[in-house]
Amino acid sequence: MTLLKHSCSALLITIASSMSFAETSVIVSASNPNSTMDQATISRIFLGKAKSFPDGSQALPVDQNTGSKTREAFNSTVLSKSDSQLKSYWSRLIFTGKGTPPKQAGTDAEIKALVANNPNIIGYVDSAAVDGTVKVVHKF
Amino acid sequence: MRKNIYLAPSLLAMAIASPAMANDLNINGFLSVGATMLDENKVSVADADEQGSFKQNTVLGLQVQKQINDTTSATGQLVSRGSEGYSTNAAWAFVTYAANDDIDLRMGRLRIPFFQYSDFLEVGYAYNWVRPPSDVYGRVPFSSLDGIDFTQRFSSGSIDGSVQVYYGRFEGPIFINGSTNEADFRNFTGLALSANMGNFGTRLSYHQAEIIMDSDELAAASAGAAGIATMIGDPSAAEDFNFSGQTSQFIAAGLTYDDGAYMAVAEWTALNHESSLLLDDQAWLVSVATRIDQFTPHITYTNEKGSFDSGNEGIIQKALPLLSEQSSITVGLRYDYDSSTALKFEIQNNDETTAAGVDGESATLYSVAVDVIF
Repeated sequence: MTLLKHSCSALLITIASSMSFAETSVIVSASNPNSTMDQATISRIFLGKAKSFPDGSQALPVDQNTGSKTREAFNSTVLSKSDSQLKSYWSRLIFTGKGTPPKQAGTDAEIKALVANNPNIIGYVDSAAVDGTVKVVHKF
Repeated sequence: MRKNIYLAPSLLAMAIASPAMANDLNINGFLSVGATMLDENKVSVADADEQGSFKQNTVLGLQVQKQINDTTSATGQLVSRGSEGYSTNAAWAFVTYAANDDIDLRMGRLRIPFFQYSDFLEVGYAYNWVRPPSDVYGRVPFSSLDGIDFTQRFSSGSIDGSVQVYYGRFEGPIFINGSTNEADFRNFTGLALSANMGNFGTRLSYHQAEIIMDSDELAAASAGAAGIATMIGDPSAAEDFNFSGQTSQFIAAGLTYDDGAYMAVAEWTALNHESSLLLDDQAWLVSVATRIDQFTPHITYTNEKGSFDSGNEGIIQKALPLLSEQSSITVGLRYDYDSSTALKFEIQNNDETTAAGVDGESATLYSVAVDVIF
């Protein structure tokens, strides 16, 4: 009985934590001179339509790995595209030499390390992972 | 071990850091395999027959792209087609010079931007059909040229798009009605405009070229036209049936919609020939689809209709006889097995109202295909 109680509460905690809203931060290196960016600017960079930051320096977007919750949230909120729409979008660009999708560069920790070390890289992580090495340019 | 964990991100950082990232050699490929079965041999659709065929549907493409320096890149795409006995040729082979973020100049072998799907014509994975509808797409039996193009991308508010202008020449064999003809299309030039806003896309294109073709079939038809012109007492009309250096024009307009759950495509195209030996025609398609998880059922209607010139030229065209009028309905299902593999099933009913002036037949084509990208 005690065991059942425990597993029930464990289950409830699991459900509650997966339902809780995780805020996502779009980040650049602390040394990147750009401050805030709107959703449209970020979307253009991640869809390969813009190749530079508002200040003119080169922008290199990196994605979280496929399957990450943060990636799903980013795709649907910032890019306003479903997974299948994105697949179709990139397959049409790759084979015309017009563009390649952002590299998949891991999850929160790896993305944060990459962004911190290179002022040209832009990524997105769970807001809980943000620290002083990176700068948040957009939150949702 | 611990050291490796810390090393991994920094190695990745080096790999991604500019210009190391830009120096990557990108290799991508696509492969389509499939089978078709036609229930009626009298109708010509997708080179299929009653015996069932496999090789007509096999297409293998390999693409290599290399960023050479900050502004210049090289792209090559080799395509091998079962329908051409697996001979391999370059669909794309060009050098791109990016003058800035929004302007590209390309030189080499380029895909001619005739249709909405021209850029990725053979990449089955990129669309829902087993193949683009032949009533519309099959009317231009070649897809690349050698030349130069200029692309300017633009964005304004929520609209973004591009203007592409090209000039070049196409020399090579083209396959018409099962026979191979040597073609030389000179002063080949055109313009393509496209714009996207949210879920909507629109595209307009115009193309023209001077057509020179060495074809026994066309020479015979031209001689036939001269005979009919004399018969109806207007020998001068025969001059319009010559076939060297006359200009042909192609116009296309398209609309797309994709909100993730529903997709729609409409495309209208017209061919106008200066030579009366080729019949002007119009063809269009409308296609709708819906995505339900991994499944995408879709339905497409296509229509193609030739039109006669006015006056004695039209009388001669009718007597030759030229005229084709056909329509088709395609019902299909795409199943996305994973993020790089699609399985497709399709039933296409083709109705030839008239073919080369005589009453046509109707036939049903059954197709299955597997499309992979890698």
